[in-house]
Amino acid sequence: MKFVVGGQIEKEKIAESIRTLAGDKATSVVVMNDIEAAMALKSGAVDYYLGACNTGGGGALAMAIAIAGMDRCVTVGMPGKILSDEEIIAHVKGGKSAFGFTGQDIDVVVPVIITAIFS
Amino acid sequence: MVQEFLMRLIEVDPVKAGLLAAIGAISAMMANRGIAVFHDGLRPLIPEHLEGRMSRKALAATSFALSFGLIIGFGIPFSLTAPIILVHSLLLGTDVIGVWCSNSKKGFVLSGVIGAFYAVALLTGLKSVVELFAMLPVNFMTNLSKVGDPIVVCFSLFPAVVVGYQYGYRKGIWVLVATIIGYLATQSIGTLSFGGFIEKPVKLDPNGSALLIAMIAMFYFAMKQRPPETTGDQKGANEMLVGLFSSRIARIQKNKWLLVLSGGLTAVAATMSFSLLAEGPVSLQLMAQGEQNGALLVALARAISFVPLVGTTAIATGVYSPDGMKFVFVAGLATNNPWIAFIAGCVIMLMEIMLLAKIAIWLDKYPGVKACGDHIRTAITRMLEISLLVGGMIASNAILPGMGFMIVAGIYLLNKTSKRPLVEMAIGPIATIAVGILANIFYIMGLG
Repeated sequence: MKFVVGGQIEKEKIAESIRTLAGDKATSVVVMNDIEAAMALKSGAVDYYLGACNTGGGGALAMAIAIAGMDRCVTVGMPGKILSDEEIIAHVKGGKSAFGFTGQDIDVVVPVIITAIFS
Repeated sequence: MVQEFLMRLIEVDPVKAGLLAAIGAISAMMANRGIAVFHDGLRPLIPEHLEGRMSRKALAATSFALSFGLIIGFGIPFSLTAPIILVHSLLLGTDVIGVWCSNSKKGFVLSGVIGAFYAVALLTGLKSVVELFAMLPVNFMTNLSKVGDPIVVCFSLFPAVVVGYQYGYRKGIWVLVATIIGYLATQSIGTLSFGGFIEKPVKLDPNGSALLIAMIAMFYFAMKQRPPETTGDQKGANEMLVGLFSSRIARIQKNKWLLVLSGGLTAVAATMSFSLLAEGPVSLQLMAQGEQNGALLVALARAISFVPLVGTTAIATGVYSPDGMKFVFVAGLATNNPWIAFIAGCVIMLMEIMLLAKIAIWLDKYPGVKACGDHIRTAITRMLEISLLVGGMIASNAILPGMGFMIVAGIYLLNKTSKRPLVEMAIGPIATIAVGILANIFYIMGLG
């Protein structure tokens, strides 16, 4: 599986988190600016997009929604609300491939997303 | 109850209320028509609705879900500590109002009316809450403002943190050293009288000049970073974006006059003399403490950091922000005259809109600046989290000695385990307000 980290903030932390959680199962984890990352997802060069910003849906997913399409994107964590593990798993199984959340949610949501992708 | 509320309405300065009502009305009407929304995450959903892939109802529900937590857990607590309105509390609300009203002529007018009413209600509501707090047996309002004390000194640190994030620990430390030297140097110079040539000596603000030095260092590093050499006429990411979405840029330019008006009015509300609206928690605290220069510089740095984010989301969606890239706040802080602020705000907004594509393409040449913008927001958030936590602890302990420390630390740590967590940087103000209310309960129960 190929991962790209887009979004606006905490990119290195997210990338490191994916590398640690996915290990060898992730064939590549790259950090890009949000436009390039969204284009990589649209063209199929990568399988999954993860990004963070202060609201979980703005800088994190704006380009992914505009370029790759709304139906592939989901905000899993926003200020005051994080989706339940079951909801996140359902979104992954339902075919969502771009995930947005806030910087403070990284440790909570990234493990759930990665586990769901590889299960 | 109703009568009391109306009485408060009369007490509020009609000029300020009118100005805020106008901003609220215009913003809600622009949200209604999909011309501009404040929430960066709502912007990409507007074309989904306009182009028929998302119903108005779903859009309204999403806008509420996106904004409600931020208004209650972020906008309002910060607005209460000053009291100056953090712009998020006003414009996230007008986003929701505009989107909730139907997409018709009636909905357009209705959104304006509700938007104006919401703005005035926000102003009077905040005033009432502050007055209510002041009437309680244990008055914690003076201590509540202590939450912002560490920010007034710590804000000049953020460029060092940005450089640390972007170019590593070592360079970050160098900028930190330069910041501290700048602080000490200005402090020792004190006031400049230019050998008696000017009548009123200029008092140098150590924090402001330290920040200025650090910001110059930060942007020096960012501008130095150039894109890798490309062969032939390979396009940059933003240039591709401009090419893909040229019709959406045209849509923003078509709607420029409402945006220009909104920018001008916001600049007036953001002047020190009005002190009605602040662009972010840091400049809000600095404004409250009368630190105009510091507030100006922080607003400038934040506006620069928002250029890539607001610019690219606007280009990709055809929807702008009622405050644009936030330079209108800089215009307000740079001048105390409402008329000059209005004109400056209008001109800045018009330039932002007309040069949108050019700015984006120009940014391709400076990838360091875009990365720097992301890091500025991360660094300011981090700086706020730590200084507001410490400020909250100091303020809480002044209200409820001993227990104050414990309650704030407890709320902070337990929040991390919550599935509905508070915005981390708002914990200081929220916990302190909670401690203040608790102190009154203890007093009434005779435990204090």
